[in-house]
Amino acid sequence: MSTTTGTVSSRRKPMDWGKLASYGFLVLLALVYLGPLLMLVNTSLRTTPSFNRDAIGLAVQPNFENFAEAWEKANFPKYLLNSVVYTVSATTIYVITAVFVAFPIARGYVRYAGVLLTLFVIALFLPPALIPQFQLILRLGLYNNPIGYILLFIVNPIGIVILVNYIKTVPQELDEAAALDGCGYFRFVWSIVLPLIRPAVATVVVLHSIGIWNEIILPTIYLTNDDFYPITRGLIVFQGVYGSDWPVLAAAVLMLTLPMVILFLFLQRYIVSGLTAGSVKG
Amino acid sequence: MTYHFGRGRSRWLPYLLLLPGIIAYFVVALGPSLATAVFSFTDATGLPGAPVNWVGLDNYREFLFLGQAARDNLNAVGRTLIFCFFVTTIQFALGLLVAVILNQKLRGRNFFRTLYFMPVILGAVIQGLIWSLFLYPLGGPLAEFLAIFGVRSEFLGAQPTEAFAWVIVVQIWANMGTTMIIFLAGLQTISAEYYEAARIDGANRWQVFANITWPLLTPSVNTNLLLNVIGSLQAWQLFLVLLGYRNGTQVLGYLIYATGFGQTSGSVTSSFRQGYAAAASIVMFVMVLVIGMTVQTILRRREARIMG
Repeated sequence: MSTTTGTVSSRRKPMDWGKLASYGFLVLLALVYLGPLLMLVNTSLRTTPSFNRDAIGLAVQPNFENFAEAWEKANFPKYLLNSVVYTVSATTIYVITAVFVAFPIARGYVRYAGVLLTLFVIALFLPPALIPQFQLILRLGLYNNPIGYILLFIVNPIGIVILVNYIKTVPQELDEAAALDGCGYFRFVWSIVLPLIRPAVATVVVLHSIGIWNEIILPTIYLTNDDFYPITRGLIVFQGVYGSDWPVLAAAVLMLTLPMVILFLFLQRYIVSGLTAGSVKG
Repeated sequence: MTYHFGRGRSRWLPYLLLLPGIIAYFVVALGPSLATAVFSFTDATGLPGAPVNWVGLDNYREFLFLGQAARDNLNAVGRTLIFCFFVTTIQFALGLLVAVILNQKLRGRNFFRTLYFMPVILGAVIQGLIWSLFLYPLGGPLAEFLAIFGVRSEFLGAQPTEAFAWVIVVQIWANMGTTMIIFLAGLQTISAEYYEAARIDGANRWQVFANITWPLLTPSVNTNLLLNVIGSLQAWQLFLVLLGYRNGTQVLGYLIYATGFGQTSGSVTSSFRQGYAAAASIVMFVMVLVIGMTVQTILRRREARIMG
């Protein structure tokens, strides 16, 4: 199926109705995806009185003051810093511990490796851990405490499964050769295996970070002091106060959406490989 | 497999390094998850230092059978099933259709793929706020569009049934990309030779889909169905952002959170009743298990029929 045959056949048949219908459908659906985003951008550039007069009028004279106002009133610098701290520290702890869990399981270097793996796989079906988790954090005295909050994010069963599957593709002979050369277990995993499984690690890092960054339930439960709020919680609180002032709220939402979209364009590959890991084999 | 990195004491090194991750998983996730069953038989509250008493099946009895609250709970269970049904079927069908279309050689297909997939990473708060604005009832874009046909709607502020329906729309908008991506990955594993052979035999589009694409897509069909069913039974974040805890719209996940942590608004109030919320969690677990297992069994039979 080369492009040349495509051109030839489309020249022979002047109208390919199937393709036309496909495009029509794609464009219609694209409107549903772009519409809300365009509305967000447009609203963020308008003044409040003009929005209240006519909600869908175009921002002919863009008004950028909403962004400064939102940035200041919503305490963005503080909340963004909190989100970064939570995301980076929990993801780092998680990924390092996860590699040392996944490697020996994938290789069968520990007993009951299969059972251990199953324990991670069944996590999808288990009851929500919400209540006992809360009791645990409360009793540890870590309620309303950033450390307790970070603790909630140092596990991710799906990440382990992804890593195990990937490590299985690294040839076992490598272990033997390295051991013969006198390389120890820790150094082998850390400086030989880790670089080799970088694509899988990147996938897990991206998926896990996005999960922490977007989390809204857990900060609502565990963090009552607004000094500790991550950006999601900050945004909800801001909505509670400025909910009727859509241009300012839209500016706040857009300032958080844009970096995610840009980041997404760069990291798409890793997100896709994470979501499809193991799904096609069945 | 043979371990090459030494014997004796150094044989324990893998276990030692494995321990932090395993302990974290047991303490933070697996243990609490299983302990939910234990808590469901107690009157635990969220208050530090308050005594916890064993109450047997009281929480379950109250949740399922006691007065108006039980009727509300069962309504929430019903709503969860309705939510699951509509989200799963629509998201599955739409994801499949889009994936099949985007699997053709089309100009701009990367653009469409990226666009449809993008909401997945935005998270419930941003997804919800973007749609709250799009569904602005006083002359917002959708309100104006419907006005063309003489239809008026309060959208998220409308009657519970309608508001609920809009959450389904946003949920599908937000997650269809994942379904699509999994289908696309599956489609790419189907060898072009089959399509080539079908073309030579003069098969039409529908025949190609029904006899080649659909059966060979079985692994992705299974994954997507299971993920969608379980995911939508447990999802409620968008309800939190779009509607708040509103009578007539709650699903089970939200109910667990609201009763366990007393974060409610409007006419429904509750305190920190964590034992009761744990019992509700177990009800949800049983739902996920029964429905998940049923779907799994049906899919296995179907797979055996196609592949065998």
